[in-house]
Amino acid sequence: MKKFIEIKNLNFSYEGDEGERVPVLHDINLDINKGEFVTILGRNGSGKSTLAKVINMILTPDSGELRIDGKNIAAELTDEELMAVRRRVGMVFQNPDNQLVATIVEEDIAFGPENLGIPSAEIRQRVDDALDTVGMKAFARHSPHQLSGGQKQRIAIAGIIAMLPECIIFDESTAMLDPKGRQEVMDTIEKLNREKGITIIAITHNMEEAVRGDRIVVIDGGRIVKQGTPKDVFAKPYELWELGLAVPQVTELFDMLRCLGADLPESVITEEEGAEKLARLLETK
Amino acid sequence: MTKIELKGVSYLYGGKTPFEKKALNNINACIEEGSITGIIGHTGSGKSTLVQLLNGLLRPTEGQILLDGRDIWEKPKKMRALRFKVGLVFQYPEYQLFEETVKQDIAFGPKNMGLSSDEAERRVMDAAKFCGLGQELMGKSPFELSGGQKRRVAIAGVMAMSPEVLILDEPAAGLDPQGRSDIFGGICEYRRKTGATVIIVSHSMEDIARYCDRVLVMSKGQVWAEGSCDEIFSRADELEAIGLDIPQIARLVRLLKEKGVDLGDKLYTVGDVYRALLPYFTGGDGGAS
Repeated sequence: MKKFIEIKNLNFSYEGDEGERVPVLHDINLDINKGEFVTILGRNGSGKSTLAKVINMILTPDSGELRIDGKNIAAELTDEELMAVRRRVGMVFQNPDNQLVATIVEEDIAFGPENLGIPSAEIRQRVDDALDTVGMKAFARHSPHQLSGGQKQRIAIAGIIAMLPECIIFDESTAMLDPKGRQEVMDTIEKLNREKGITIIAITHNMEEAVRGDRIVVIDGGRIVKQGTPKDVFAKPYELWELGLAVPQVTELFDMLRCLGADLPESVITEEEGAEKLARLLETK
Repeated sequence: MTKIELKGVSYLYGGKTPFEKKALNNINACIEEGSITGIIGHTGSGKSTLVQLLNGLLRPTEGQILLDGRDIWEKPKKMRALRFKVGLVFQYPEYQLFEETVKQDIAFGPKNMGLSSDEAERRVMDAAKFCGLGQELMGKSPFELSGGQKRRVAIAGVMAMSPEVLILDEPAAGLDPQGRSDIFGGICEYRRKTGATVIIVSHSMEDIARYCDRVLVMSKGQVWAEGSCDEIFSRADELEAIGLDIPQIARLVRLLKEKGVDLGDKLYTVGDVYRALLPYFTGGDGGAS
């Protein structure tokens, strides 16, 4: 598979109050494939968002290498080249209200492409496509403040898609939403990944969301401490608790049942799978 | 005993303007003294408007709010005293920290109540303890702390006023799982030690099921339902129709039922379901195997 993001021995620190360097990321090595859906977990202050901002090229690493689609970002790129690379990685933040700028939904989505100097006929096309992708076509001429949290967040996503990025980073983009809004946004993210082949990096504290990706990367104290498929990472709940994290409720239940001697060799991460296994197991009882 | 009663409460934003919007429409509800009540509802259902009304930050357009049987707007000039009784912790309260040290920040409320410095000191220490903030943090600047610690300092600041009613709007939003359980642990500890009435607004059905005795469900500016966790979460399909959900573990129980395995009712936490399953794995009679 083709690598889209390659990070080698990357370090990042920010400047403290007295001018000293405060290290945040230590020796990060991480490759993310084209079309992959990676979830990043870690307690508050572990460095997740900093890593996301480094990948998004908002922050510049102190040392190490960051390659986007083979291009070395740390190397001498002209401003124009850097802008071109930046365009390929979009980012959606936590609070939808901080990300919408216009008073009409479709104008908000057009804001990005307009700033890229794209001809207006194409902007029209991109806005329509983006609205269609997030399922918000009916709201094109609405005012963003009339929308629910989940709808606003989908508009923010549409604004990013309209710039045609190949990778989108979601920094706790569902944290402020109600259950339905969360579901809408997660379904949209999955659709972007599956149907459009967009590479997804999702930061979340919600373990039920984390099981939806291909791979989980756990960060603690600015280091990658664990990674693997959701099933692997959630296999030992206590290891996650020690990192200030948790596992989905079904995973926790099945772990407890395993301690009772139940024949459950593999971790269970979704309720559908759990119901199936449990029904089969209870039949034999 | 009823601590808070809402009688026909409505609230209109932008009244007599073209932007008039009825945020709350004829709310009737009672909140029992000493209970932990969860308020759930979709975005824009009126949850935040409701908690601001309870604290007297907004005045009902219609209806009455009774605290211990008395209308809180009976003597509007006494509103300050009401706010000491009904403490409100806003969403993301850590943005309201401003003092030089953690201790001074927590002490801000009690000082404004005109308490003696000994009494204020005692309250600060109690509040810090509820929230799991150690002595070593007291002299630090609140801005040196982690996100979860800052949140706990802000909550301790409200607890230090010893409110009889503690209201928290999404107290754990944006925190990691450890941070979430620290916050809820602190809230439960405050209730246990003081007997206060607690109201929590949350989007997490798991947290509501785990920590609350009662649930008030808001939808489109009205009380959609009120009841125990059992009563509310047994209406899963209806909850989903109004943009809400049930805890994941309850969804597992529902799926099992569809497959012909009935574990029983009232199973909304991991512990509940574990106990229901125990007999199957320990010899069939629920006893020792």
